[in-house]
Amino acid sequence: MRLASTVSLAAAMLLVASAGQADPAAGEKLFTGKNCNGCHYTQGPAQEKTIDDQLAKKGPELWYAGSKFQKAWLKGWLADPKPIRPLKYNSLTEKNPGNHPKLSAADAGAVTDYLMTLTTPEVKKGAAGKGKKLKGKLVFMKKMPCKGCHQYPKRKKVLGGLSGPSLVGASKRLNPDWIYAYMMKPKVFKPVKMMPVFTGILNEVDVKNVTTFIGKFK
Amino acid sequence: MPRITIVSALLLVFGLAAAGSAQAVDVEKTFKFYCAQCHGLDGKGKGPNVTKDFATTPRNFTDPKEMNKLTDGDIKTAIKDGGPAVSKSELMPPWGKTLTDEEIDALVGYIRKLCQCKGKQG
Repeated sequence: MRLASTVSLAAAMLLVASAGQADPAAGEKLFTGKNCNGCHYTQGPAQEKTIDDQLAKKGPELWYAGSKFQKAWLKGWLADPKPIRPLKYNSLTEKNPGNHPKLSAADAGAVTDYLMTLTTPEVKKGAAGKGKKLKGKLVFMKKMPCKGCHQYPKRKKVLGGLSGPSLVGASKRLNPDWIYAYMMKPKVFKPVKMMPVFTGILNEVDVKNVTTFIGKFK
Repeated sequence: MPRITIVSALLLVFGLAAAGSAQAVDVEKTFKFYCAQCHGLDGKGKGPNVTKDFATTPRNFTDPKEMNKLTDGDIKTAIKDGGPAVSKSELMPPWGKTLTDEEIDALVGYIRKLCQCKGKQG
């Protein structure tokens, strides 16, 4: 009886441990099997050289997904995807149809485990530091055109333009160190994009401040 | 010999024309990729970003009356250094670190085609 209890306990513990264990290989198999790479490329470095290259893409590149996204958000989003871009990817005329495939909770977990392995040393842990939120707000709202293309939360409203990805919920979605790295070296991540390059226009301190401001968007 | 010269000249002319049209296609592509977000694919100032809380009215490039008030230099400065550089809205971004001088010059030419005007000389 005692032996049986011990064996059951051990089996239960093993089950719990394996359920919580990351399995990137299984996630990669799912990613390929479901043809996710039909829209998202996962092999860095960035491949786009021309506007045509960018326009040929059906969805955002994911080769640095593990450096860009927060794991808990990614898992939740894959299981219940909601549009991040108000407009269809690469379109200025069509609304985002919101038809991203939805994964089961288990598959979302596995694919997240895989995507979180796709990192780049260009995003350095802690690089964003601690900027000044109010100074960042000044950059975002007054000095620069950020709000012209990106939606952002203001009290209970959503304001801002539609051509860029929404920044509503950025505090849960994005890794601030990625925001910082992307602003400082945009061409590493997106060599051809509709967003202007701000390197040389905003200095490192401005970028840290604006990262802190964006990083708090609910 | 003269025949060869004529053929060469014709080839040169066709070559230049082809290069010119390729460039025209590229500037249209540049405009539609970067500028149309706010100025619209037709340049009339009604791109998808112009929602009700967009704090300014993007320039309608097809309005010769308004466009004639600007010199080519004004347009170039606005594209390169952004709206505030010409006392306009910060919602017009500075594209100087994104586009080359050649691309910006081509955009000025494209915008002049849209307004079918030469602009203020200055």
